[in-house]
Amino acid sequence: MPNHQLLDNITHKDLHIICDRSPTLGDAVSYTNIFLAEFRHVQGDYPIFFHKHSETGQFEAISLFGFATGENLFLDDAGWHAAYIPLTIERRPFLIGFQRSPSAQEPQPVVHIDMESPRISYNQGEPVFLAQGGQSPFLQRISGILKTIHEGHGQTDAFIQCLLEHDLLEAVSIKVQLKDGSKHELNSLYTVHEERLAALSAEVVATLHQKAYLQGIYMVLASMANMPKLIELKNQRL
Amino acid sequence: MDKPIRTITIVGGGTAGWLTAGVIAAEHLANSENGVQVTLIESPDVSPIGVGEGTWPTMRGTLKKMGISETDFFRECDASFKQGAKFAKWVTGAEDDAYYHPLVLPQGYAEINLAPHWLPHAQQIPFADAVSFQGQLCERGLAPKQNTTPEYAHVANYAYHLDAGKFSVFLTKHCTENLGVKHILDHVTSVNSAENGDIASVSTNNHGDIAGDLFIDCTGFNALLIGKHFHIPFISKKHILFNDTALACHVPYVSDTSPIASHTISTAQKNGWIWDIGLPSRRGVGHVFSSAHTTIDEAESELRAYIGASRPDLSDNIAVRQITINPGHRQVFWHQNCVAVGLAAGFLEPLEASALVLVELSAAMISEQLPASRQVMDIVAKRFNDKFLYRWDRIIDFLKLHYVLTKRTDTDYWQDNCDAATIPADLQSLLDLWRYEAPWHNDFSQVDEVFPSASYQYVLYGMGFSTKKRATMRRSENSHLAEQHFLQNTQLTQKLLAGLPSNRDLINKIRQYGLQKI
Repeated sequence: MPNHQLLDNITHKDLHIICDRSPTLGDAVSYTNIFLAEFRHVQGDYPIFFHKHSETGQFEAISLFGFATGENLFLDDAGWHAAYIPLTIERRPFLIGFQRSPSAQEPQPVVHIDMESPRISYNQGEPVFLAQGGQSPFLQRISGILKTIHEGHGQTDAFIQCLLEHDLLEAVSIKVQLKDGSKHELNSLYTVHEERLAALSAEVVATLHQKAYLQGIYMVLASMANMPKLIELKNQRL
Repeated sequence: MDKPIRTITIVGGGTAGWLTAGVIAAEHLANSENGVQVTLIESPDVSPIGVGEGTWPTMRGTLKKMGISETDFFRECDASFKQGAKFAKWVTGAEDDAYYHPLVLPQGYAEINLAPHWLPHAQQIPFADAVSFQGQLCERGLAPKQNTTPEYAHVANYAYHLDAGKFSVFLTKHCTENLGVKHILDHVTSVNSAENGDIASVSTNNHGDIAGDLFIDCTGFNALLIGKHFHIPFISKKHILFNDTALACHVPYVSDTSPIASHTISTAQKNGWIWDIGLPSRRGVGHVFSSAHTTIDEAESELRAYIGASRPDLSDNIAVRQITINPGHRQVFWHQNCVAVGLAAGFLEPLEASALVLVELSAAMISEQLPASRQVMDIVAKRFNDKFLYRWDRIIDFLKLHYVLTKRTDTDYWQDNCDAATIPADLQSLLDLWRYEAPWHNDFSQVDEVFPSASYQYVLYGMGFSTKKRATMRRSENSHLAEQHFLQNTQLTQKLLAGLPSNRDLINKIRQYGLQKI
């Protein structure tokens, strides 16, 4: 069970975070949700898809790491072998919480931490606070990531909404045959419908371009080039 | 006579009027210059009767074709999922007497008739549970899909329960704002004939005479055009289906987290039966009965006793509304340039939710076969009448089936229902046949039967009917294949029981987040 606490420099003054990547540290996940702002980095390593969040049924963008639950083909005991690691993985064990304050109308985003995470330490990894109680450079970086995630939700939701309005998403079934002859099928994934994209009017294309959505769309399409790599990684593990 | 059909005037709103308007307007491009013009005249003085809170799965296709978002429909019509009906106390009247008529077809229904293979195991497992998973889903209060299932798609076939009043308002908005239906709120004062006997126009209080090439009578029991103007006789079916009075009420839930049944519950009484329909905000409960067999007071006390079983705190102070029903239909439905849809065409007790589906089927046939010219309208009218007379007869047969299979003898009502003189001849022949042969595809002549032979199987074998084993073997009776399907059904039942959310949870999620279109 996660134990989410509001981060503060008294309760958590000696806290360190283990930043290694390992199956024992909770990195064995087959996908994570990603944000439009990081698509260009994600597509360098991973296939990008859309799927429906199991709780809300709403679409979110994801980068794919494996073919089965808990399978991360980029991860082994030596670490995570990729140039880029998505923000929702990077942030761990920190997360955004919301706090009501008397001065502000809206609840304000604040940094929370999961104290049950295996990354929690008091003697190894990165210190969270400086000796005098100030934020460590590590925590400053994490705060930046959380801020990007916070803004990324609204931005990515708007992007996906726009894709849906223009009927640009389609369900895909990924069928993979491995070198040992075994067949795997990934369902519940969606991608950009290329024919409908090609058929968009100049006017719509211009709008998508102005919103910087066009770039995102092509990043998704380009990311498909990572599928053979993912299959190859799987074959190597057979 | 070579007069193109350009304008359709629907007299009467309600669910019948607006569904018909929407179906026709969507197909015939009422919102474009080159489409058919659809006008609906609705009297501000007449309030719709608001029956028909249960639909068939066909409603999903009907709404989708009209361009309606299923999410909006759930949010605005107080809609919930319906996966079939549970019939309680219809066979013996005992407390544990119940069976399901689910909406999914029996496993492998395209290739194998499982009924003869199930019959030897009739004592071990109810028919519905042996051949389908849906009764179990209903029993556990589960939804027929997940929140990741797209709009109108299903895991288990489903229909809806809805608030008919809200549904009319919702359809009005969609038809007028998106489909180009012209809405006139006015009272029709007279019907004006053309030389050939057609309706030329209807006169209104404030909008003058409104003409039309085709008129659709959706004026309910009033039957303003088909009845009062054309005097098309009404064919009573009360000698077959005795129920002629209903007492209806709304029953609140204990809390907003109370389970919502995902099936209609029909519980037989001494002289009729009680419907129980779960909407998200309330239950709709009503007692439909034969006034020749009991009194209003007795029927009301049976209804209050029923409510008291779940809400003892409320049973005495819930307001009950009385509705008189006249089972039967018009001799023809399409006469001259006028076609009746909804209650104007006829009405039967809501035992199998046939009211709205008949509206949908009527609207679909009018729309699909809309005559291009007055010259050929009579040909389409004849087809329509033949088709719908057949359909009404099949529905009447199917409703009667629920009564004739009873073993109850506790009242005259049940005994009278089994009197051979009240059983239609077609139904009687089928019953005779089914003593030797389980119902199958070839028992019915139409490709688009209202009730497939599967529905007859569910009711027959749910009610303990027995079909004799043939003295000789047949190649198509493949017991190995049957075993496979029974096993598959068991596996599928387990899988779905584990994977589907509760009906209430899914409806809450749809209201909060919405379903995706893809």
